[in-house]
Amino acid sequence: MLLEVRDLVIDYRSTRGRVRAVDGVSFNVPAGAIIGIVGESGCGKTTAVRAITRVMPSSAVFSGGSISLNGTDLVKLSERDMQKHLWRDIAYVPQSAMNALDPVWRVGRQVEEVLVARGGMEKKAARVRSEELFAMVGLGANRLSDYPHQFSGGMRQRASIALALALSPKLVIADEPVTALDVVIQRQVLDTFATLQKQLNVSVVLVTHDISVVAYVCDYVVVMYAGKVVESGPVADVLDRPAHPYTMGLYNAFPELSGDDRELSPIEGSPPDLLDPPQGCRFRARCPFSIATCTQDPPEHLVGEGHIANCHRATEAADLRETAKRTETWVGVTTE
Amino acid sequence: MTYFLKRFAHMVFVLWAVATILFFMFRTMPGTPLAAFIDNTTTAEQQDALIRQFGLDKSLGEQYWLFLTNALQGDLGQSFFFKKPVVEVVMEVFPNSVILTLTSLIVAYLFGIVAGAYLAWRRGSWVEGFGIPLVLTTRAAPEFWLGMVLLAFFSFYLGWFPSGGANSSGSEWTSDWQRVTSLDYMSHLALPAITLAIYLQGLPLLLMRSNMLNVLQEEFITMARMKGLSTWTIVIRHAARNALLPVATAFALGIGGAVGGNVVVETVFSWPGIGRLLVNAVAASDYPLAQGAFLMITAVLVIMNFIADVSYHFLDPRVRFATR
Amino acid sequence: MQHAKEIALPKRETRILSSISRWLVAASTIPRRDPFAFAGLVLYLIFILIAVFADSLITHDPREILFNDEYDLASNLTPGGDHILGTTYSGRDIYSQLVMGTRGALVVGVTAAVCVVAIGTVVGLIAGYFGGLTDTLLMRLADIALGVPFLPFVIVLAAFLNPSQWNVVFGIALLLWPQSARVIRAQVMTLRERAFIEAARVTGAGPWRIMFVHIAPNVLSLSFLYASIAVGWAILTEASISFLGFGPSDSVTWGYMLQDAYASQALGRGQYYWFIPPGLCIIGVVVAGFFISRGYEEILFPKLKD
Repeated sequence: MLLEVRDLVIDYRSTRGRVRAVDGVSFNVPAGAIIGIVGESGCGKTTAVRAITRVMPSSAVFSGGSISLNGTDLVKLSERDMQKHLWRDIAYVPQSAMNALDPVWRVGRQVEEVLVARGGMEKKAARVRSEELFAMVGLGANRLSDYPHQFSGGMRQRASIALALALSPKLVIADEPVTALDVVIQRQVLDTFATLQKQLNVSVVLVTHDISVVAYVCDYVVVMYAGKVVESGPVADVLDRPAHPYTMGLYNAFPELSGDDRELSPIEGSPPDLLDPPQGCRFRARCPFSIATCTQDPPEHLVGEGHIANCHRATEAADLRETAKRTETWVGVTTE
Repeated sequence: MTYFLKRFAHMVFVLWAVATILFFMFRTMPGTPLAAFIDNTTTAEQQDALIRQFGLDKSLGEQYWLFLTNALQGDLGQSFFFKKPVVEVVMEVFPNSVILTLTSLIVAYLFGIVAGAYLAWRRGSWVEGFGIPLVLTTRAAPEFWLGMVLLAFFSFYLGWFPSGGANSSGSEWTSDWQRVTSLDYMSHLALPAITLAIYLQGLPLLLMRSNMLNVLQEEFITMARMKGLSTWTIVIRHAARNALLPVATAFALGIGGAVGGNVVVETVFSWPGIGRLLVNAVAASDYPLAQGAFLMITAVLVIMNFIADVSYHFLDPRVRFATR
Repeated sequence: MQHAKEIALPKRETRILSSISRWLVAASTIPRRDPFAFAGLVLYLIFILIAVFADSLITHDPREILFNDEYDLASNLTPGGDHILGTTYSGRDIYSQLVMGTRGALVVGVTAAVCVVAIGTVVGLIAGYFGGLTDTLLMRLADIALGVPFLPFVIVLAAFLNPSQWNVVFGIALLLWPQSARVIRAQVMTLRERAFIEAARVTGAGPWRIMFVHIAPNVLSLSFLYASIAVGWAILTEASISFLGFGPSDSVTWGYMLQDAYASQALGRGQYYWFIPPGLCIIGVVVAGFFISRGYEEILFPKLKD
């Protein structure tokens, strides 16, 4: 197991008090696998994955848990020791590659910078390697002498991926890498991830709010809601046989990446305020299947091989799934 | 290229407009230009001769046309007081103003940039809390008063620096270059330059700080941290490089503004520059000289504005290499 | 290079009275948020009071040449006794000059600020609202005004017109309006697309009415912001002009005091009590204006905190 996240807790200090953005999140990342972390905005997925790099806003506090990279707990490392892992072992592809590159430096120079400063390469070797990296993501070597604003959105994203792979890391974290792109380009970029995974055996943690992206390219999926993991497991299992009502609702709410027509039924309501989270299951208010016991913390239920769901009614998953497929189930839930 | 031409045309327009305003201001002001030459003994004939000599018998329109055509050929008339071409008198002192301006600006900007970046780095600390009001105070003090205080203390009291002028009287020089680079000149330059630098550093400091604060919030800085790059690389080679752009433009603008604004500092320290020349010319009713000095100062201002404009255009790669 | 400031503009139109009351409320919240702005307000108040009650605060006539008991010129006396700050070279009481100078400074400062901001606001309103040729013409005019070196112009003005305090006001009003005009113009351009302006147009209000009754109150806060900085500029300029000898010789201003000190070799004689206080007073008024405008700007354009 390349990366093991255990009971991670992260708070943000704000003027209104402490907001617990990540509340006891656990998941595993095997070597050479693509993990999708999916959930609504504000569910804590970005915070959880950024925590792996330990580069957080100054208001963020690590309040508990561990992040083990090949056995080393990253949370406990000093800044200097952590720096050794940055980019060499763990790389990051940002959400909006719009501003992810220095606008007054040529792109090629920025790639070479990482190779020289952190990879210990000579300038000439760095130049060659940057051409290789660009070729890997389908960008021409002539593009290295351009400035970031001369790239299109898709090209910038691919350049960011190339940069992330510069030092051959074991793990690449990609935060909403295709959200800002149109569907055709989305596919290209996701295909790039898949190819790279096969060729380089790189693990990818891919954060997204779009479950169809997960369906398209991920091996495993972790579904998060309001700072907690609600379900996780192999993609095929979780999407064919979701055991948590939220996952069932998510699937209904997004059009298929492959373009099938499917009736959309969004989940009504909005996530709870994490300044003062509700007791028990946090999805309770928007769940069509909630019962009285849901006011207590849901247990972790093993639904299948490597597939868990945190729901009181996980044993009834098969029946609930049928009901969830009907659009009427999801209408008027919050008004009951 | 079109941008360059547009701004150039604009610059010419403004120069022409100001020169015109200047001309009519000087010609229509109360007080005859000949007052310096006329006294009780001047006969009517002599007065007429003088009027013809200075072209004052022609119509205002003719005089204006003459003024423009002469100015374009580099002839700004004759100084009443010095009895020499205005251009000559002005060019004698212009280099001194340039040296003073450039020296003070460079010192001010070097300090301001570093201090501004530092204050941005120490956001929220007490250094910032008191540093900013302190900087504002330096902007609130009249430059000549700063000069007076420095002069009183460092020159008159401590005797470390001379009290005025650009060179000690009675000194001989083999060439202008030697004169300007001599220790004597530098010791005369020191106090006025320091005075101006104290006054001028506020702007680059606050500007740099503001820019740095903005840039440090940008995504590519976070990415730089994630890449594990050193603090020096992040703050200086990336953040500061981005934040410096507007400051460089401000520097060019500063040159334009400072040459004219140095007037008071030049007066306090009796620095023989163009500002002081203007003041003396005005006081002596030497209209051609005053006009010429004013025109010179304006030209520097407008030209530097133009340079600042165009250079920003070329310094920012987003503008220079705009593809869409 | 200038970032369009995100202004906390009201969603609906504001009338003048409610605009003023809003401003007063905002002004009263300053002390809590920004101690320096508060200090600025206090300082301003002190100076205003001194200016108003100057006649009662002075110990001698500032212009009167004084003699001591032996009928000798009371020249260059050090602080003490009758003279809190000593006397000048020509035997005048420094303290009284300092106090009286407050009046001159504030009169020039406030008048110049009001003039330049009034011009700037009106030009900004007209250029921003009408756009097109009017806008282009006005902005060209602004470019010309910005192309004229400020201090040299005021010097020439002061030399050719009779030396008076109003030369400074005139010069400032003529040359410094573009700054505020441009910013106000930008805001007007944003505002004129708002629904309430559309509504006013539909109900038949003419452009002038729209500009001055509907749009103006919303940009007034910007005007006040510039006014508070302009006061400082005016006082500094007046001081410079007086120092150069182009100021009025009949009234006593801080700039005049500094010129007097310099010309009388006070620097060489180490008469710090003569030339330091006027400078400190100038700094006081100007920096108070900076602090106030800085504190007020925080309210108008709240920066996003981390």
